[in-house]
Amino acid sequence: MKLREYEITISPSGEVEIHLDGFKGKGCLEALKLFEEIVGQTKELRHTSGFYEPDEEVVLHGQQHH
Amino acid sequence: MSAVAVLTPVVIAAWPAISAAVVSAAAHLGFTVLDEAHHALNQGHARETGPRIVEMEVPQSEVVTGTLGRDQQIRLTRDGFTAVFARDPRGRATFCVSGEGHTEEELRAIGEELGGRMVQQYVLQKLKTELSGRGMNLVEETVDENQAIRLTVRHWQN
Repeated sequence: MKLREYEITISPSGEVEIHLDGFKGKGCLEALKLFEEIVGQTKELRHTSGFYEPDEEVVLHGQQHH
Repeated sequence: MSAVAVLTPVVIAAWPAISAAVVSAAAHLGFTVLDEAHHALNQGHARETGPRIVEMEVPQSEVVTGTLGRDQQIRLTRDGFTAVFARDPRGRATFCVSGEGHTEEELRAIGEELGGRMVQQYVLQKLKTELSGRGMNLVEETVDENQAIRLTVRHWQN
């Protein structure tokens, strides 16, 4: 289990800025899709250092490593 | 931290959600809700309040409706300004601002502030509802000196 944290700022004009924390690699893009479904289209996307770290390994239930 | 995204909101909702956002925005900006009724009952109210009127629309908006709410409007007032929110025939959320003795620039400035706050309140409520429904926890909600609303949301993920 990983703790995900999102810092969301809604400006007085309604524009939304989201800091996607706790991700390594491109996992944050999946989280971003969720916010796009709720709020609307991404106007601007800035990657921070964590984005360029190796993607997180997603272990599905029942999956075995050899 | 992995990324920072800026999203442009899309307002697609039925009249009750639009109306709730308008009322909330009105309260934050010191407006009073005069009434909420059907166009047929109140046509021409805005024009009666003054000679100058500015018509605006909420960007990227759609008021989803069947027959309920199709002709509804909500009317606000503050310091001689009157604003009327409604749904136009194409389904967009529109509003007009009027006020005796005010310039078009003043009316437009009030309208932009009011329209922006309406979208802000709509997005706030939608985020709270949707994120809660997905098991996410709102751990902090604050309003900064610029009237931006800041939320901190956490959840555990496999």
